[in-house]
Amino acid sequence: MPPEPATPASPTTDFSAQGEPLNPAFIEVDHFHFWYGAKQAIQDINMEIPERQITAFIGPSGCGKTTLLRNLNRLNDLIENIRHEGDIRIDGQSLYDPSVEVISLRKRVGMVFQKYNPFPKTIYENVVFSLRVAGRNAKAELDEVVERSLRGAALWDEVKDKLHESAYGLSGGQQQRLCIARAIANRPQILLMDEPCAALDPVATLKIEALMTQLKEEFTIVIVTHNMQQAARVSDRTAYFFMGRLIEYGPTLQLLSKPREKATQDYISGRYG
Amino acid sequence: MTSIIAFGGVCIVVAVFGIFAFIFSEVVPLFGKARVEKTATVQFPVTADGLTGLDEWSQLPFHYDGQRTLRFQPVQPSINQPSQVTLPLPDAVTVTSRRFDPEHNRLILGLSDGQVAIYQVKYASSADATGSTVVKGSVSSERLLPLPPGQPLQSVDYKDAGDRKLVAVVQGQGASAKLLVASLRQSRSLLGAGQVKIGESIDLTAKLEGQHPEHVLIPGTADSVIVETDRHEIFYLFLKNSAWELRQRFRPFPGESSPLAGIDLLLGDVSLVTWSDAGDLRIFSLFVPPGETTRLFGQTKSFPALPGGILHYLPSQRNKSFAVANDQLLRICHATTEGVRASIKLSFRPVDLAMDAKSEHLALLDNSGVLHLYQVDDPHPEAGFRAFFSRIWYEGSSKPKHEWQSTSGTDDFEPKLSLTPLIIGSLKGTLYALLFAVPIALLAAVFVAQFMHPDVKKVVKPVMEIMASLPSVVLGFLAALWLAPLIETRVPSVIAIVILIPLISALIGFGWSLLPVRHRNLLPKGSEYGVLIPIVILIAWGGWHLGPILERVFFVTDAPDGSKIADFRLWWPQFTGTPYDQRNCLVVGFMMGFAVIPIIFTISEDSLSNVPPSIISASEALGASRWQVVRTVVLPVASAGIFSALMIGFGRAVGETMIVVMATGNTAIMDTNGRLIFGEFGLGHGQFPLADHWDIFNGMRTLSANIAVELPEAAVHSTHYRTLFLGAMVLFLMTFSLNTAAELLRQRLREKFRIG
Ligand SMILES: Nc1ncnc2c1ncn2[C@@H]1O[C@H](COP(=O)(O)OP(=O)(O)OP(=O)(O)O)[C@@H](O)[C@H]1O
Ligand SMILES: [Mg+2]
Repeated sequence: MPPEPATPASPTTDFSAQGEPLNPAFIEVDHFHFWYGAKQAIQDINMEIPERQITAFIGPSGCGKTTLLRNLNRLNDLIENIRHEGDIRIDGQSLYDPSVEVISLRKRVGMVFQKYNPFPKTIYENVVFSLRVAGRNAKAELDEVVERSLRGAALWDEVKDKLHESAYGLSGGQQQRLCIARAIANRPQILLMDEPCAALDPVATLKIEALMTQLKEEFTIVIVTHNMQQAARVSDRTAYFFMGRLIEYGPTLQLLSKPREKATQDYISGRYG
Repeated sequence: MTSIIAFGGVCIVVAVFGIFAFIFSEVVPLFGKARVEKTATVQFPVTADGLTGLDEWSQLPFHYDGQRTLRFQPVQPSINQPSQVTLPLPDAVTVTSRRFDPEHNRLILGLSDGQVAIYQVKYASSADATGSTVVKGSVSSERLLPLPPGQPLQSVDYKDAGDRKLVAVVQGQGASAKLLVASLRQSRSLLGAGQVKIGESIDLTAKLEGQHPEHVLIPGTADSVIVETDRHEIFYLFLKNSAWELRQRFRPFPGESSPLAGIDLLLGDVSLVTWSDAGDLRIFSLFVPPGETTRLFGQTKSFPALPGGILHYLPSQRNKSFAVANDQLLRICHATTEGVRASIKLSFRPVDLAMDAKSEHLALLDNSGVLHLYQVDDPHPEAGFRAFFSRIWYEGSSKPKHEWQSTSGTDDFEPKLSLTPLIIGSLKGTLYALLFAVPIALLAAVFVAQFMHPDVKKVVKPVMEIMASLPSVVLGFLAALWLAPLIETRVPSVIAIVILIPLISALIGFGWSLLPVRHRNLLPKGSEYGVLIPIVILIAWGGWHLGPILERVFFVTDAPDGSKIADFRLWWPQFTGTPYDQRNCLVVGFMMGFAVIPIIFTISEDSLSNVPPSIISASEALGASRWQVVRTVVLPVASAGIFSALMIGFGRAVGETMIVVMATGNTAIMDTNGRLIFGEFGLGHGQFPLADHWDIFNGMRTLSANIAVELPEAAVHSTHYRTLFLGAMVLFLMTFSLNTAAELLRQRLREKFRIG
C-alpha cells in the first residue's frame, strides 16, 4: 500500500487554525488511480478542492498533474486504452455515474491548455464556440458574451477592433488569453488551467495572474504550474505531486514556507533531481 | 538529394509537356484548310469547248469534243502516248446533250433522234521497263438505248443499281419538252446475265403539273428522278410498286430575284445540291420529316454565294466535298461542315472540271484546249470546330445533331465526329460515379478517422488501400457480367435500397440520441457500427425483396395488347421518354464509384487524421459533441486535404477507361447458346447509344473509352485518328484546367484553416 497522502485528515481545522476561511469542498478525488495502457500515471489520490478558490498543482515533469487535471472533465476519454479506479465527484455527483452526460459535464468545467490552441477561426468565433455548440446563436447574446468574456480575459481593449480577423494574428500571450476568454464564455463553474503562462513573457504572465485573482470571485480554479512564485502569488492551496502520488496538500503559504515532507522541501528549494 | 528530386520534377514536367506537344501536333492539322497548287498544264490539240476527265493516277486526262472524238493526252509525254478514239455513233445524228458520271467514268449522250448512247472511259495501268506507271485509255461502248425516235434530247441521265437500271431523258425544247423514263431489264439464263432489254418508255410529263422539264437527274438507287423545270421548281418523282408518283415539289430559291440555276447530286446521292443565278448554294437532303412516313428533301445546308454565279459543279468521289467554279473563281467546299476549304482566283475561263477518284487532283479545262492540273491537299475536310462541337445536320437525319459515328462499311458514309456526346458521356459517368462514391468515401473517412477504435482502424485502412489497387478490368468485368444483368430486372429494388439505407440509418441515429444516457453509455464509443451493420444488411435484403412489390404498384405500363405490365424497363421509357439500356449509367457509375471510393477514402482519411489533437481536445473541452467537433473543427481543418482527395477521385473517374469499355458493352461476347451478351446494342460498327442527355438509365461512351476502343482501328494520321487525339487533348485540358482551379482553391482553403 502506498503511504497515506500528506493531506491532513481534516483540512478544515487546519485552515481555521490559520484563520483562513475555507469554502466547502467542491471537487472530491477519492482513491483515484489512473492508467495509460499498462502504465500507471496516477496512484491513489485523495483530495478535496474547495469552491471559489485557486488550487495549484505543482511537481516535477511527468508526475501526473496534467493527467489528473484532464480527468476532472473526463477529457482523457479521448485517449484509447485508459483505465481508472476510484472516483471523482463534483458537487457530490460522481463523474463516472452511468447517467452522466460527458458533454454537459464539460460545459460546467472550462479548460485552458498547456499550449494555447485557438481554432482556425476568427477571434469572435473562437470566443462563442461553446455557445454555438450549445445551440445558442442569437446575435445579441453572442455579442454580449464576446465582450464580457474578452473583458474578463483582459483582452477586450487589444482586440475589439479586429474581432473578425483570424485568431492566429494575435501574439502568443494574446492567444492564451483568448483561450481563457473562450473557456469562460459559457460561464463554467470550474476552470482548469494547465500551465497557462508557460509560453508567456512576464508582462502577459502578470496580466493572467491578475485575471485569475479576479476570476476566483466566480470560478473554482485549478492551475498547474512549475513556477513556485506564481503558485505563491495566486493560489490559496497547493498540492505537490511526485511520481503519480499526491505528496503534500495544504494552504499555499504553509506548504511553501514550512513543508511537512522532505520531498516537498527538496522540490521547493530546487534540490529536486 | 534535393538535386535528384529537382531533376525528377523537371523530368515529369518535361514529360507532361512533351505528351501535350505530341497530342497537339497530331491535332493541329485537323484545323487546316485545303492547299491547292497548280502542278502542270496539258495542251489538247483542239480549241473547241468540251468535256474532260481524269484517270486515277492523274497521268492521262481525256477530252471529249462533244460529238464523236475523245482524245487522251499524257501529262508526261515521255511516259504515256496520246491517243484518239472515235465514238461509233450512228450516222446522221448529232449529240444534243451529255452527262458524265464520274463514279463509273460513264459518258451518257443524248442524241438528236431521241436515242441515248452510253460509253465508258476505261483506264489500265502497267509498269514499264523503268518502273514508271504506263496508263492506257480506251472507250468501251456500253450500250445504245433505242428509245422511240423523237425530238432531240435536252437532258439525259442513266443509273445502274444492279437489278434496277433506269434511264431518264428530257425530249424536245420549251413548251413541247417531254419527260420520259424507261427501265432496263436484263434477262437471266443458265449461262449467266443475258441481253439487256429496254422496257417501254413512260411519259411522265403530266406529273409535272403543267410545268416543262429542263433537266433530269437519277439518284444511285435508280428508283426515282429529280426534275428541274422551266419555272425553277424541283419535282421529285418516285417509282413505287412499278407506278410513278409525285412525292414532292419544292422551290429551292423562293422569290424571283435570283431563281434556280442548276442542280446536281452529292456523293451518296441522298443530297441534292442546288444553286441560284446569284451563286447561292443550298443543299437539300432526303430524310423523313417529323409526321411523315417517306423520305423527302429538306434544306440542310447553305453556303455563301460564289460571286458571279456557279457555272460548273463537280462532286468528289471520295468524300462529301465538291468543287464549284465560274469564270473568275474556283471554290472547294465540304458539305457536312458547310465549310469552304479553298478559294482560287482563275486567270482563264474554265469550260469543264474534272477530279480523280481519290480527290487529290483537280483539272480545269479552258476554252483554248488547255487543261490546268492542280494538286489538292485536303486530308481532313470533314474536320473542324463545327464538326467537333456544333450540331450538324447529317444526311438522313431529321434535325441537326451532336453525334459520334466514326466509321462504317460504305464508302459514301458521312463520318460523324462530334465530341460533345463523348464529353457529356465522360462528365456523366464521372458525375454518377462521384454521386455514389463521395458520400460513402467521405463519411467512411470521417468515421474511421474520428470515431473508430484504433485497433479496428488498423485493419480497415490497409484493406481499403488494397481495394484501391484492384485492377479496373476486374471491376468492369464484374459490372458487365454480374452487376448489369443483376440490376437490370431489379431497378425498383435498387431505388428502394438507395432510399432506405440512409433514411433508416438516420432514423436509428436519431432514435439513439433520444435514449437515456445510461443506456447509450453501455455501448463503447466507436463501436456503434457493430449495431448498424446487421441493420444495414437487413435493410438491403428487405429492399431487394421490396422492389418487385414496388414495381407492381408504381411502375405499371400498358402492353401493346392492352393488358398491364409491371416492368420498370418498359415504364421508364414510357414515363420519361428516355431510353432504358441494360448497360446504363447506373451500372457504370456504381462500378466506377467503387473504383474511386478507396482513393477518396484513403487521402481524406489521412488529412482527417492529421488534424491536431490539441484543437480536437479544445473543442471537446468546450462541450462540443463528437459530431460537432467533426463538423466545426475537423472538417474545415481537413478541407484542403479532402478537396485534393475529391480532385484525385474526379481525375480517376474522368480518365477511367476499362470499366466504361466493358460495362457499356463495346466488346462482342457470345454466351454458350450463341446469343450475344456483350455489345448487344446491335448497331453498326463504331456506333452505340449516345449520351445526349444526362439520363441515368441510358448507355454512354466516354472520351477515354472511345480512344481505347477506336484507336487500334484508326488509320494513322487519318481524320479519325487525329480526332481521337483531339478527344485526348480535350480530356487533358479538361482535367488540367479543373485540377489547376482545384489546386488554387485548395491553397486558399489550406491558408484559411492553417493551424498556428
Ligand atoms: N496519452 C498518453 N499516453 C500514454 N502515457 C501518457 C499519456 N499522457 C501522459 N502520459 C504519461 O503519464 C505520465 C504523466 O504525464 P502528465 O502529462 O500528466 O505529466 P505532467 O505532470 O503534466 O508533466 P509536465 O509538467 O511535463 O506537463 C508521464 O509519464 C507521461 O509519459
Ligand atoms: Mg503537463
